[in-house]
Amino acid sequence: MEAPTTPSESARELFREHGSAVYRFAAVLMRHHQDAEDVLQETFLKLLHHLAGGGRTDNMRGWLFTVAAHAARDRQRRRARWITWTFKHDSAVPPARLPDEDGRLTIIRHALLRLTERDRLLLVLWAQQLTYREIASATGIRLSSVGPLLARAMARWEQACAAIEVPKAVKSERHGLL
Amino acid sequence: MRCLNDVEIQAVVDHEATEDVQQHAAACARCGDRVRDREKRMAAVGAAINIPIDVPAGVARRVEQALVEGSSQGATRLRGDAPQRKPWRRTAWSAAAAVAATLITIVFVAPMFKGESTVTAAEILARSVDRLSQTATTGVESLEYELTVDGMTREIMPDQPDGVYRVQQMIDHDMTGRYLLATYGPDGQLLSSVAQDPASHQRVMAVQLEGQWYRFELTVPENVTLSPPEIERLHMQASVAMMQASGNQQLQVIESGSGRQYRIQVPRLSAQTSNAVWDLEDARVVIDATDYHIVEFAVKGTFLKQPYSVSYKLIRRAVMTQAEVPAGTFEVPRESGAITIRGEGSAILARDALVGALRELARAKQAR
Repeated sequence: MEAPTTPSESARELFREHGSAVYRFAAVLMRHHQDAEDVLQETFLKLLHHLAGGGRTDNMRGWLFTVAAHAARDRQRRRARWITWTFKHDSAVPPARLPDEDGRLTIIRHALLRLTERDRLLLVLWAQQLTYREIASATGIRLSSVGPLLARAMARWEQACAAIEVPKAVKSERHGLL
Repeated sequence: MRCLNDVEIQAVVDHEATEDVQQHAAACARCGDRVRDREKRMAAVGAAINIPIDVPAGVARRVEQALVEGSSQGATRLRGDAPQRKPWRRTAWSAAAAVAATLITIVFVAPMFKGESTVTAAEILARSVDRLSQTATTGVESLEYELTVDGMTREIMPDQPDGVYRVQQMIDHDMTGRYLLATYGPDGQLLSSVAQDPASHQRVMAVQLEGQWYRFELTVPENVTLSPPEIERLHMQASVAMMQASGNQQLQVIESGSGRQYRIQVPRLSAQTSNAVWDLEDARVVIDATDYHIVEFAVKGTFLKQPYSVSYKLIRRAVMTQAEVPAGTFEVPRESGAITIRGEGSAILARDALVGALRELARAKQAR
């Protein structure tokens, strides 16, 4: 296969390679799937501009998750501000949600909400198999602090999972919540 | 080397440990067991969080298409085969402060556009603006909606401490300037009411203050067409026009119980200009996809540098012919014990109430 020659081709190639991981990252982190889609779109459009502008390409996965993490954080804060203002109206027209047949995504989000914003971000980035260096880049945390903070986040995650009620459909080793 | 701590065990599992730590984990039976135990736990955590969901096909197509087009500056476009499509965000909230309007509350006017297979956020807003600007509706329009006000608008309407009202509004589209507007508390108690009838040159307003009802019965001059419903309509129209002019509309398609709706939001993205008479920081509108009528509307901003917010949620709307309108619809009910003040009115309700009350005070003083 020929190597991509234009920024557009390179961006599409990277989308096919990392798009699902970025989407999974955003879907778990965000409350609404529309927000996850927005994070995905924004990330890859920024990638396109980055490539078109001759930006560095030595660690594109880390770059993508850094941009996605910032986009997710911006949206969470913006939505929180918006909801505070007119939350009553949201109950009248609930936004559509991501298909979640076995309720697993809901439970994961519920458990993640028991953690701090930093712990959530660390865990979800780690789950996408980012290196400590990539996690440090995406979160703005010092590289030497990633390991200790991640270990603590793991412990708090396990406590959160133990504290929530997990439906039988999700209570399986496959889902890894036990 | 000493045995490993939890952080080092974690680093070994994550293949991030230094060489000497890895060597110790391989050589020490106790630490090796801890690493294997941690590996199992981490596998479970990873499996839990890394849910196997893929990018929806429609979203993937849209992203790839946008990357082909190579621009994020295009308008949000929804096509028939991808109703869940989300907008591309543009990065600037354009200053669209060319619109001027008085603000108090909102009004709903039903547009009659037919839906199309392709539509953008800007087009949706344009259609609502277009319909709001048309006052050719005939008959009597009845609206019931929830109104939430804060900031300057709450000071204008101080009856409810939390700023939440239920509003009933009747507009006679066959007779310009004929209307009734009544506000109620959550318990259904009437808080205020105003009605105007240009045919009889009468305007009646009833307000309650500290348990006492006051009734203003005023004669109004010819051609007083600026009414609270009209002011509300202008405010909504101008706000939606400002949203339309923004470069950062965020469009979302909602499949609600009452059918498809478009939710368009314009968040604040830039600093306000220092000299703006009217500025919006956030704005959101929910528009029915079948006829483009506005179901919900909420804005937050400043007017004359005073912060305000207004939220509107339509509860019920009906249009009646004149023959269907019950008798007394446009009459303000007489509250027992109300103090009645009569006089001449103007186009400004607040001024009329103040002048009427002061004149009544002067008369009372002279009578003593």
